[in-house]
Amino acid sequence: MKAFFVHTYVLTKRSIVVLLRNPLTILPNLFISVFFLFVYTGGLSGIAQLPQFEGADYLSFILPVSIVSAAIGGAGGAGQELVRDLESGYFARLLQTPVTRLAIVLGPIIAGMLQLLVQTSLILGLAFLLGLQVEAGLGGVLVLLLFAVGWGLAFAGYSVTVALKAKNAQAAQAGTLIFFPLLFLSTTFVPLELIEAGWLRTAAVINPTTYLLEGMRSVLIDGWVWQPLVTGFLVVGAACVVTISLSVISARRAFSRE
Amino acid sequence: MTKGTIVVDHLVKTYKDKFTAVNDVSFTVGKGECFAFLGPNGAGKSTTVKVLTTLSRLTSGSVTISGIDVDEDPEKVRWEIGVVLQDTGLDSNLTARELLELQGRIFHLSGKEASFRAEELLAVVGLTEEADRTSKKFSGGMKRRLDLAMTLVHRPGILFLDEPTTGLDPLNRKSIWKEIRRLNREEGTTVFLTTQYLEEADELADQIQIISGGKIVAGGTPAELKQSIGKDVISMQFVSETEAKKAREVLNKRDVFLIENDIRVTEEKASAALPVILRELQEFGLEPAALSVAEPTLDDVFIQVTGSSEGAS
Ligand SMILES: Nc1ncnc2c1ncn2[C@@H]1O[C@H](COP(=O)(O)OP(=O)(O)OP(=O)(O)O)[C@@H](O)[C@H]1O
Ligand SMILES: [Mg+2]
Repeated sequence: MKAFFVHTYVLTKRSIVVLLRNPLTILPNLFISVFFLFVYTGGLSGIAQLPQFEGADYLSFILPVSIVSAAIGGAGGAGQELVRDLESGYFARLLQTPVTRLAIVLGPIIAGMLQLLVQTSLILGLAFLLGLQVEAGLGGVLVLLLFAVGWGLAFAGYSVTVALKAKNAQAAQAGTLIFFPLLFLSTTFVPLELIEAGWLRTAAVINPTTYLLEGMRSVLIDGWVWQPLVTGFLVVGAACVVTISLSVISARRAFSRE
Repeated sequence: MTKGTIVVDHLVKTYKDKFTAVNDVSFTVGKGECFAFLGPNGAGKSTTVKVLTTLSRLTSGSVTISGIDVDEDPEKVRWEIGVVLQDTGLDSNLTARELLELQGRIFHLSGKEASFRAEELLAVVGLTEEADRTSKKFSGGMKRRLDLAMTLVHRPGILFLDEPTTGLDPLNRKSIWKEIRRLNREEGTTVFLTTQYLEEADELADQIQIISGGKIVAGGTPAELKQSIGKDVISMQFVSETEAKKAREVLNKRDVFLIENDIRVTEEKASAALPVILRELQEFGLEPAALSVAEPTLDDVFIQVTGSSEGAS
């Protein structure tokens, strides 16, 4: 048990060191998140005048999108780190030691979650500077962070699965492209009531991101309303269960000996 | 005591695609012995190493490391062995020191012990100066030395080295040899190394097994192997072709070969035959202008048993 904690700790530390040494792997994602915040609040805020927004501030509306994209960046890093290890042969070297197998996967995931928290906090800080008001108060901010970590975990599970299956950087990178349809076929820029195309509406309804965004928006705009929160957490929880299970299965295969 | 020993019994490894890379291989390595597994490309050397070091599962037969069955208790085997694979396995974003310390922590050293051990090993492989540079900036030779240092962190009783000097310049190669010899002779570490270089096996090993196409085709001490091919070659140079021809006439009862002014005589034992040959020649007033004796090299053995000149240095 002690070995498990030590191994997880040292491998998490390693992932963080690697992240810090390669700021270029973090910056583009942070840039995109900030981009959502500034460009869309600047350029699209006019549409918040529409009655469907029910008087909400467009900043509050777009902030969850920015947070989700930050979460995905942090989580995707976990898979990328594993791919790097597989390609460099360090993974094989680790397998030849008595290292706790779980720690090999947990290290990058925990580091990704920490990256995600830092990025989310930065974005929240920026949003507050832009005049953000959180209806649900401090508890609401915690809910935002929880949603970010939950979604991050789900995406980390997914990216680890793809990484361990594909075992090469290109394929793993291609796997993260799922991020785009997930983020854009949703209530990303306008509420559901304003989406006119039937197919887009259907896509938004089945897209888990929609419920995540709704949950986050509810604490920002409406205060404590249970229904979107519960739905949001159920959806995120289910996504976590699915992707983490998949990642455990593929990890087991990667650790098994040929 | 079985600690430090390797026993391989009728080992077979068939890959998923039905290809049998190792086919019924058996050998025993005693504690403190240096064993060389010699073979051309694709012979099955790396496959054997992977099975012996728990990375790959065997298909049939058995492997016992320090008395522990590799298939039954791989976890325990990992504490006994240190492995340098053919391809180095380093995280290129970490420094030499960080990699060594991390390895120490994985083997249950405390932070302090790990950093002490790292310092010690950096000195052993001559990387103290480079300790705080990330390994991506290392040359091939430096990477190999670091890789070797990482496998030594937990003081394994058995060291596996898969082609430890392939692609290294002579200087780096000598320094790796020196370290292997030190570990083997001074610390009593059992060494299992694979190589395509005969001189390397000749230089380091107490026992050599030659593998080709997944099967062991010859084996023994370096001296025994050389003896099995057995013949020495005496070359004599004469001042003119006529003299050389005359010499051939004189020696025609022996295994003689003539090229221009040169005569080659193949003998079981050159040291015994040479005085007799010279006396015979002298009786006819012949005296070679230059003379040399070549003992068989492992190259000759290798080429003969593997039926290829591939990998001969
Ligand atoms: N994972 C694998 N699946 C199928 N066949 C494999 C696999 N790994 C190796 N082989 C095959 O097994 C044979 C032996 O390979 P191995 O790597 O053990 O040779 P080697 O003696 O180490 O050669 P080299 O000197 O080139 O390193 C080769 O024909 C190779 O193609
Ligand atoms: Mg090999």
